Amino acid sequence: MSPHMPTSPVIETRELSKVFGKQKALDGVSLAIAPGAIGLLGPNGAGKTTFLKCLLQLQPITSGSAKLLGREVGAEGREIRKRVGYTPEQDCHIPGMAGCEYVTYCAQLCGLPFQTARQRAHEMLDFVGMGQERYRKVDTYSTGMKQRLKLAQAIVHDPEIVFLDEPANGLDPKGQTQILELVQSLWRVHGITVVLSSHMLRDVEQICEQIIIIARGRVLVHDSLANLKARRRGAAEVVLPGRQEELQAACARQNWPCELLPNGHLRVEHRAASLNPLLHLLRQMSLPALEIIPSPNALEETFVQALEISHAAA
Amino acid sequence: MPLHDTAYKHWQGAHLGLWQRRWAIAKNGLTACLRIRWMANMVVLCWGAGLAAAILLFLVGQLLVADSMVAGWTSKLSPVLQTFATLLTGWLQDHPEISVGALQNVFFYFFGRELMIVSIFLLGIAIPCLITRDLACNAIVVYSSKAVSRGDYLLGRFATAFGFLALTWLGPVCMAWFLGNLLAPNWMFFWHARLALENILVYGLSSMVILSMLALGVSASGIKEKYTTAFWFTWWILGAVIVPIALHTKPWLRHLSFSFNLNEIALATFRVGDNIKTAQESIPVLGTMLSGIRPGTLATLAIPNLAGAWLALAAMLALAAWIIHKRVKPE
Repeated sequence: MSPHMPTSPVIETRELSKVFGKQKALDGVSLAIAPGAIGLLGPNGAGKTTFLKCLLQLQPITSGSAKLLGREVGAEGREIRKRVGYTPEQDCHIPGMAGCEYVTYCAQLCGLPFQTARQRAHEMLDFVGMGQERYRKVDTYSTGMKQRLKLAQAIVHDPEIVFLDEPANGLDPKGQTQILELVQSLWRVHGITVVLSSHMLRDVEQICEQIIIIARGRVLVHDSLANLKARRRGAAEVVLPGRQEELQAACARQNWPCELLPNGHLRVEHRAASLNPLLHLLRQMSLPALEIIPSPNALEETFVQALEISHAAA
Repeated sequence: MPLHDTAYKHWQGAHLGLWQRRWAIAKNGLTACLRIRWMANMVVLCWGAGLAAAILLFLVGQLLVADSMVAGWTSKLSPVLQTFATLLTGWLQDHPEISVGALQNVFFYFFGRELMIVSIFLLGIAIPCLITRDLACNAIVVYSSKAVSRGDYLLGRFATAFGFLALTWLGPVCMAWFLGNLLAPNWMFFWHARLALENILVYGLSSMVILSMLALGVSASGIKEKYTTAFWFTWWILGAVIVPIALHTKPWLRHLSFSFNLNEIALATFRVGDNIKTAQESIPVLGTMLSGIRPGTLATLAIPNLAGAWLALAAMLALAAWIIHKRVKPE
């Protein structure tokens, strides 16, 4: 974790619930999140956006409580939002305004004096990589420009924490990389806590240090990326050109469960943190494995689990 | 490639207060209104009308001085006008509360009424800039994620509508009053015309509050600019059509028109009918002149019973508030 900020939680929720009619969008979410680059993962409709909106008071909380930057959400809305930035998932630009006017206006809404707001707006537009197009009306912007503009308006008032809801949506791969690099630098270089909500595992893996996986309004996992990646179930798939029976017999002698998959691969549960015992066995038997696929780590597994929960509910 | 440092910089300055943030919202709305094609020209036209009214008051004021240039011209033009000017000079000394006070009161009632029509028309054009556009492009989410609340946003937008009406109505009318009396031959004009100013402010401010609220309600009723503009004009024009028809059938239907209700308040505030009657009774010559006014016309200028107007406006305001409450949300 970067040493930019104190380690006291920036977000604390206790039994946070949000109900829309009969549907529970958030179901008793209790979290204490330290500053950093935080990835909020989950399939579409998992409750990520609702979680962010409840924290920002864009949605009223049904039950439970939440604290943002040490302040009670609901009681000190304006004070909290003065120190928070947010990029919504959908477009939210005011038509008829030029990009730089829009960002200046957003800064003024956060309490920056006009001259300062205008200067900061240009600095942030430089930061997000917008050139002369900042003087064009936002109505004419491409998706990439709009995403950059959204990021600029979210950080123009120098927030302590910024919530980014699917910031790379609708971008080409190059644009995605650029935006994610900018987001990454916010925490790593400038010490601004980033909460990145996404349904793209790759995006979150690339820039986040802490991961929260949500499915059906419940938190499935909250841990550091390093821990999640290190946690594996000690299994692997072995692809052999032949002699599968020999390996099955050897595994039985080692007391390792082994099964032949329909695709011809052998799934071996070696129960070790690394692949070394399995490799040693294969070397002993002089078996030339074509490929060894380690079992997915806890991050991938939990994400797949979240997807399955979501699909089952649908 | 930027030529200067593009790195992120932290900001340590002091934040401005809440009222300045609200002002930023109001200013943004006003700027958007004035950016509409020909809108700025129309605002200038309103001020031009105010200037014209001031010139008219100046000319009338000059008639009240026996040795003024205008009085000289009138004597050259016609002996009748000269007699009238001489009489007016006498009235100024004998009945200044009528020749200045009542005259300006009646004048500003009619001037204000005509200019209000222009203001309502322009407000209809500017209605999408209040809330409609923000709803259409989801900008409410941006406002709600900044250091302002929904109430601050609505207050800012209310100030936009109010400011717009101040630019197109109250400003020009007040300017006409001030300039008209400033250019008058006697400083006492300010004193005698004070009632007209009081009435302008009382009626102006109350009608602007009501119109601003109604405009916000209409603006929040849809996300299509054409729809909200059409709504406003349909309501306004339909009301104007209903009023003369309903007078002879179901008079209460006239209260569906907001402009009719506002006119009732204006009549009660300026007391135009009373002013004319007093002038007729106090000044014989004026009485002879005003006797040409038809009794029906005088009846329309009589002080109305305001209960119906206030009740109808209260219902309209409640409906507008309900629409705003339901529609102006982050989601």
